[in-house]
Amino acid sequence: MRTGEVHGFLGPNGAGKTVTMRILLGLLRPDTGRATLLGGDPWADAVALHRRLAYVPGDTNLWPNLTGGEIIDLLGRLRGGLDPARRDELIDRFDLDPRKKARAYSKGNRQKVALVAALAARPELLILDEPTAGLDPLMEAVFQDCVLDAVAEGCTVLLSSHILAEVEKVCDRVTIIRKGRAVRSGSLDELRVLARTTISVELADGAGAADLVARWPGVHAVRVDGVRLGFEVDQPDLGAVVERLAALGIRALESHPPTLEELFLRQYDAELTEAGVNHP
Amino acid sequence: MTATAPASPSAIVPSTLTGTGHLVRLVLRRDRIRLTLWVAGLVALLAVSASQVLALYDTPAKIAGYAATMDDNPALVMFAGPGYGFDTPTIGAILVNETSLWMALGCALMSVFLITRHTRAEEESERADLLRSAAIGRHATTTAVLLVAVAANAAVAAGSALLCIVVGYDPVGSLALGASFGAVGLVFAAVTAVTAQVASTGRGALGLGAATVGLGFVVRGIGDISTPVLSWLSPFGWGIGVRAFAGERWWTLGGLVALAVAVTVGSFALSVRRDLGRGLLTERAGPARGSAWSTTPLGLAFRLQRGALAGWTVGVFLLALVYGTVGDQVEQLLEDNPELADYFAALEGATVTDVYLATTLRMMAMVVCGFALSSALRNRSEETAGYAESMLATATSRWWWAGSHLVVSAAGTAVVLAAAGLGEGLGYGLVIGDASQPWRLLGASMALLPAVLVLVGVATALFGWWPRGTVAVWGALAVVVVIGVFGDVLQLSDPVRNLSPLTHVPAVPARPYQALPLVVLAVVSILLAAVGLAGFRRRDLAGA
Repeated sequence: MRTGEVHGFLGPNGAGKTVTMRILLGLLRPDTGRATLLGGDPWADAVALHRRLAYVPGDTNLWPNLTGGEIIDLLGRLRGGLDPARRDELIDRFDLDPRKKARAYSKGNRQKVALVAALAARPELLILDEPTAGLDPLMEAVFQDCVLDAVAEGCTVLLSSHILAEVEKVCDRVTIIRKGRAVRSGSLDELRVLARTTISVELADGAGAADLVARWPGVHAVRVDGVRLGFEVDQPDLGAVVERLAALGIRALESHPPTLEELFLRQYDAELTEAGVNHP
Repeated sequence: MTATAPASPSAIVPSTLTGTGHLVRLVLRRDRIRLTLWVAGLVALLAVSASQVLALYDTPAKIAGYAATMDDNPALVMFAGPGYGFDTPTIGAILVNETSLWMALGCALMSVFLITRHTRAEEESERADLLRSAAIGRHATTTAVLLVAVAANAAVAAGSALLCIVVGYDPVGSLALGASFGAVGLVFAAVTAVTAQVASTGRGALGLGAATVGLGFVVRGIGDISTPVLSWLSPFGWGIGVRAFAGERWWTLGGLVALAVAVTVGSFALSVRRDLGRGLLTERAGPARGSAWSTTPLGLAFRLQRGALAGWTVGVFLLALVYGTVGDQVEQLLEDNPELADYFAALEGATVTDVYLATTLRMMAMVVCGFALSSALRNRSEETAGYAESMLATATSRWWWAGSHLVVSAAGTAVVLAAAGLGEGLGYGLVIGDASQPWRLLGASMALLPAVLVLVGVATALFGWWPRGTVAVWGALAVVVVIGVFGDVLQLSDPVRNLSPLTHVPAVPARPYQALPLVVLAVVSILLAAVGLAGFRRRDLAGA
């Protein structure tokens, strides 16, 4: 991870995202390997490191008999102090009632308490484990704005999430892990190169060129859709394919770059592909 | 339900009970080990006591001697019962005196824990939402766990009766004795079904249930000493009132069962008046900001435990006050009963009152162990609930976090124990008109502190090195109680008695203070706690 970036941390359920975060927080000791966080050892230097970071778990457990406001102040002060003005502003932005006892909060409201406590501490590093689980779409947007504000002030963010739109919106780079191993890491643009662009084209001679196009290098999953031809192209072959299509006479052409969903599914499906299952 | 729904099941079982059978299986599955240990432990305790009584009092002369010792001694009446059948003493009457109240207490506590765990505590965890969203009737959860409570109490009753008959007691009396345990347990199961409706947390429901058990125990004691009518206000009075082995009055058991049914119906009526997850005692809005004190780890630990601490302090103080006010009658008894003077002569010059005070303080110390252990295990419950993760992800070290809870446990234990000493001293001092008694007994209660803290140390050591096994510390307390309460009747050997830290405390104020055992116990408790904290620093934190 680089300083000042928002790093997305993706992977299927059970891939080890939360375990990784708990190791980074010094709550678990890794069986093998070593982790380095902000230049320190997460286990040995836990307290010193925790002054510089804030963590929001995916399923926040709050003391049922404390109010949201008390918990925000508690966690903030234990992190080494929080900015009272920032706290009040965040409570307002997230539309949270700080006087309610935590047992009366819904899952979304519990999540807001943890987010306000984390963001109001103005940490150098935010570790967020599926922080928006349970938030409504409006609050999700507020969360994304708050994260971008924090980054603008120099905060680094590690964000684990299943909400790919959120990752696409706020993350600079992503790491995809599967079965406890990082399988891909890079900027979204870099990862897009690994995927295919989807093309839908209407050619001069209609769907007749389907067999021809299917034999070009880098072309996959050709299908005829009325007068249109739809297929996917590997990123390196895109230029050559477009030139050949131009030679056939293009009447209309739509292309869209791979979405994060497609990237994600391709990575997750690697097992299926290895096992010989053909996936479109 | 629509008109087309099949009518067959609801014709037999009301829809509010739909799914009870599945839930019974769920409760049994979750508690198969816990409940087996409770039932087997209680039955085994009775079986061993029953055979020891038989061996100890093997001649009519010994039986008559026992009855004479027990007769009218208020301290013994308080802890053993009114002594039904001592006019024409039988071995059965001795068995009742030795076991009846304690076994009934065991069944009552088993029921309180069982019911709370599967009702309010379950609702608090929100697992109940998941269950109730299935085809489960409104009263099915409570009914299911009550059915399991009926089965568990019946198992203790049947097992106890059977083993008494096997070792050679009169079958009719054995049945009455066994049934009285189960019937008392049943009443408190129903009572806890009500406290689970009233309180809004599992801890609160457990506290209210246990407080009712304690109140029932004390009320019967006071009643038997002073006003026998009072004893009929307590289920314990009805339980021992069956007069096992002394002309059984079976209707008292019928009364207990009827009471249990009535209280259960009451809990159903209460449950329809509230929402799932809410108690009848509703929540007020709290402060929007945390105070400077409550936002430190120590402040938070105190904040989290202060309710329990206050409840235990008041409860123990009142119980001790009652024991204290009985103190002067012990001396009266000595003047009236020269035979007893011989019995107490063995106590090396101490007054009989001081022996009584020392004995009751020791009993109170065992009660205080209940607070000490539940408080010492707070670290573990905060960890498994996921709260520790939030704390340790901040700049709070493991030492500081776990140490804060430990400090609250140790200081809280001292406070509750002091309440026992002051309460007993105040009660006794008021009766005899001596203002120095509270301070004298406060000192005596503090002598017990290092011994109680050894159990806190054991709990902390388990927390550090075998966190999944922390519950075993309750087994350690059971050993301490068995040694303390049943040590004589079970004729335990000295090496066994020495396992209990309380054995090593001099019986102040009946005996002189001795510094060495207290210092050794204090050092042992500190070492155990330090070892536990060191272990906790090295291990992985459990996930929520």
